[in-house]
Amino acid sequence: MNAPAHPSRTLSYAEALREAMALALESDPNVVLMGEDIGVYGGAFQVTGDLIDRFGPDRVMDTPISELGGAGVAVGAALTGLRPIYEFQFSDFAALAMEQIVNQAAKMRFMLGGEASVPLVFRMPSGSGTGAAAQHSQSFEAWFGHVPGLKVVQPSTPYDAKGLLLAALADPDPVIIFEHKLLYKMKGDVPAGHYTIPIGKAEIRREGTDITIIAGAIMVHRALEAAETLAADGISAEVIDLRSVRPIDSATIIASVCKTGRALCVFEGVRTLGLGAEISALIAESDAFDYLEAPIMRLGGAEAPIPYNPDLERAAVPQVDGIERAVRKLVGGEV
Amino acid sequence: MSRAVQVATDNLPFVIRQYAPAQLRAALKKMYLIRRFEEGAEESYARGLIHGTMHLSIGQEASAVASCLELSDQDKITSTHRGHGHCIAKGADVGRMFAEFFGKQTGYCHGRGGSMHIADVKTGNLGANGIVGGGLPIAVGSALTAKRQGKPDVTVCFFGDGANNEGAFHEALNMASVWQLPVVFICENNKYGMSTSVERSTAVARISDRAAAYAMPGETVDGNDFSAVAQAAHTAIARARSGQGPSLIENLTYRIRGHSKSDRNRYRTKDEIESWVAKDPITRFRAQLVSHGILTDADAAALLLEAEAEVAAGIEFAKSSAAPDIADVTRYVHAEDAI
Amino acid sequence: MPTEVILPKVDMDMTAGTLSVWHVAEGDFVAKGAPLFDIETDKAAMEVESPASGHVHNMVAPGQSVAVGAPVAWIYAKDEPVTAPPASAARADGVGTAPSIVPPRPAAPQPAAPQEVHHDPRQRATPAARRLARETGVDLRHVAGSGPKGRVQRADIDNRAHGQPQHGAAQLPSGWSVQPGDLHLTRRAGRDTAPLFLIHGFAADSTGWAPLERALPKDQPLLRLDLPGHGKSPRRSLRSFAELARAVVAAFDASGADQVHLVGHSLGGALALALADIRPRKILSLTLIAPSGLGPEIDAPVLNGIARASRVESLLPWLRRLTADPDRLGEDYARAALRGRLDPQLRAAQLDLATALFPDDVQAFDLTAALRRVTARTAIIWGRADRIIPWRHALAARGDMALHLLPECGHIPHIDTPETVAGILARQMA
Repeated sequence: MNAPAHPSRTLSYAEALREAMALALESDPNVVLMGEDIGVYGGAFQVTGDLIDRFGPDRVMDTPISELGGAGVAVGAALTGLRPIYEFQFSDFAALAMEQIVNQAAKMRFMLGGEASVPLVFRMPSGSGTGAAAQHSQSFEAWFGHVPGLKVVQPSTPYDAKGLLLAALADPDPVIIFEHKLLYKMKGDVPAGHYTIPIGKAEIRREGTDITIIAGAIMVHRALEAAETLAADGISAEVIDLRSVRPIDSATIIASVCKTGRALCVFEGVRTLGLGAEISALIAESDAFDYLEAPIMRLGGAEAPIPYNPDLERAAVPQVDGIERAVRKLVGGEV
Repeated sequence: MSRAVQVATDNLPFVIRQYAPAQLRAALKKMYLIRRFEEGAEESYARGLIHGTMHLSIGQEASAVASCLELSDQDKITSTHRGHGHCIAKGADVGRMFAEFFGKQTGYCHGRGGSMHIADVKTGNLGANGIVGGGLPIAVGSALTAKRQGKPDVTVCFFGDGANNEGAFHEALNMASVWQLPVVFICENNKYGMSTSVERSTAVARISDRAAAYAMPGETVDGNDFSAVAQAAHTAIARARSGQGPSLIENLTYRIRGHSKSDRNRYRTKDEIESWVAKDPITRFRAQLVSHGILTDADAAALLLEAEAEVAAGIEFAKSSAAPDIADVTRYVHAEDAI
Repeated sequence: MPTEVILPKVDMDMTAGTLSVWHVAEGDFVAKGAPLFDIETDKAAMEVESPASGHVHNMVAPGQSVAVGAPVAWIYAKDEPVTAPPASAARADGVGTAPSIVPPRPAAPQPAAPQEVHHDPRQRATPAARRLARETGVDLRHVAGSGPKGRVQRADIDNRAHGQPQHGAAQLPSGWSVQPGDLHLTRRAGRDTAPLFLIHGFAADSTGWAPLERALPKDQPLLRLDLPGHGKSPRRSLRSFAELARAVVAAFDASGADQVHLVGHSLGGALALALADIRPRKILSLTLIAPSGLGPEIDAPVLNGIARASRVESLLPWLRRLTADPDRLGEDYARAALRGRLDPQLRAAQLDLATALFPDDVQAFDLTAALRRVTARTAIIWGRADRIIPWRHALAARGDMALHLLPECGHIPHIDTPETVAGILARQMA
């Protein structure tokens, strides 16, 4: 990690992302932003904000509502020398662009035997909790994490948002950054200058001895809140922020589970065939197996699309109380 | 120049007027090279030296060579699953192409791509594409780079009649026009998307009519007439280079071979195939060059021999090349200095 | 030069095709592009056109499977002399050269019907507890689990390890410990003297020495081995006596024993003899009880019957053949013997071993040469009423060896009359 040389200020997650993009636009004329309504509108979640005023419409390009075409233009531009950042208005809309992301961007270097490079960043606002219902609330990290050739990150703090976006921009291969919509307004310390967070490195957010909770994005905060409550009852939970879905930091996870002997995976995406399943498997296949004191457990999205009704919406993804219950079961010897 | 001479010149075919004899002879040689390359690939496939499948463009050589006549290595093309001709037209070496088809480490893609992903980035070929319509948005992105970086480079985007019904075609043409990008869309209409004819799949009579929807020029030409293809490409490339935006050209042509190696030709008749064999673009171009005194029949025969020798040498190079190391199965997924 | 007609690859993944029918006869004229023959692949039939004009000769008979790229005919110009088929221009790697007729693929072997395996109910334990138990030699079956459904947790092993000094104490009488090594070897400590090293017979295990142990001095140090596929040793299928002997020598070496008094019964006797032959300097004395390997005869059906038996009713009749006085062996004895034989993998390993060692009911290994080479003091004990191996095999002994032929004793003298055997051992060790 490049140590930040500048003093920190308090910025929101969205502001941190915008600052990263502004730094990139300033320092590299080949960086262009593309996406629907990212110009004068400022982006659906006001992440690009006023960047069009500072860098003009040629570098902050509103695209037609053409996700497949737009993503493909970004691929072609990256292939020939630009460094585009393409914003999907919602990660759900990436389904329209699957072809260009999965068949083209991810495989171009490989298909061409290493003779080509696609340095491209896809930004994807993601997750539930905003009442946007089934087609605007999904968590697709595992979908894209399944594709060799892509890198996938999901920052959980303003500091990480800026550092991971700058790392993604510096990467010679396509990187997808999932931004949880509920985090956009979250405030945190963010240094002013350029710094990066290595892709593929998890972060231990809280140390503990009884159980390891592995979580991503908004779930990191829910896990930390649960850990706080549990600590009052003498249960010591370690919380790992996965940060990078692909490549995955198996070493940090395994070392932690060897220490605690218990593992709980907490992700918002649908539980079946999801990130929790992958992490459970990698623990079971590792040295950590011999240190397990309880089954590995997963919390994840329900077997249903994200519902509209707020109570149903809450019930469809892991919440703090559910995390707490799961930990008590695992540590208390109920399972 | 006297008026009489002026008239005589105007009556000459476009290519005779526009290009030097050496350039035209080189073009004929390239067409021979493509034809012999594909025949050599077909034979190697039949002998089991090439696995998978391949899509031959025999009969479509005029479209590939005439469209690339004015392109430099800095100009880009995107190609299709039927892309051997484009690759050679843009300047690739047939030895490295054969090596790729044979799955060898010396191939253009080090044996990772094969026929369907054949590419030569150094000569501006961004790659054949296994997805119908996959190259269209990519070509627009390439043109965006040229415009953003203030370069005069043009991107020529080859695609087939099948791609004109993909959403990517419409999104790409629209964006290229909205942003006035230097890209030339060349549809090689060979009458069938696999087995489904253009008549059965496309609502408009001419695919070039689609250009009107995206406010760009659209032109349909005889794709087996080298001169007609070259003229349409010349106009569209000049337009793109001068910042006036994209064009759509439709080259009417025909693939003499089946869609791929599994085609049983159940959707077309022998008579139809024969009628197109009679319109062979190479025979026509050679006759044109001979009749205008650009070369003699003996010169043409010598060019063909040269092409055959190159193909034979290419196959030998491919046969004798080393296969990739099995341990490298995950190589080239990411940049080697990255993770 | 005639034109080669090859069987073309017409489909992905195709390596061979069947030439189903010719459209022309031998010698016929065919025009380039005219239909020449049909081929069938596993997906479809397809017509192949002639690659040249001329007369067709050297045709492969229809109905044959031909490798891709192999020639199926040659086309000759009008006046061209027809000769034997020229060498094929086929591929360099040798595949598909000549009219290569692909032999029909042998039918894939039927997958063996999945064997019904009855697992012993295993003790529930967390992976962490299992690791700790392994490392500390605790037998999980004897640990009460404090976790859900009686699952053994790491803490249960910790408590045990700290509360009880002796590893594996639960299943072993006090004073016994498990020795390191691949095979299960247990040690009973005692006074400062060379230990007895005991090797049991086929389909038995080290617990069978219990009657003899009771008859020996309490402070006599002992080492007991479980053979591969027996007792608590790994269920390994061995294919020869030599392999078995190597495993025993390895276990002996791993035990770190300096010098021992070696005792073997039946198959264990043959193995003791082999061990004495290989490690002569480590063996102070050798006592062979009804050893195998000294002659061809053996009642193999008894051994197979014991190895196979999964119920008291099927085990007891065979066990009774071991002893001179069948009434001494009742159902309780059989039930106890069966308890160690519940694992189907153990029974399978023993049946494999019986097949390897006693083919056609004959002892397939001969240790008489080893017996002649033995340097240690040697005694042979045999029951005159042995119905498994004839006691006359004992006559292979050298003149300087002690023969103890026990009347009214069967194949298991150490169980039938342990005091007698203990007395002989005392003299051996004196």
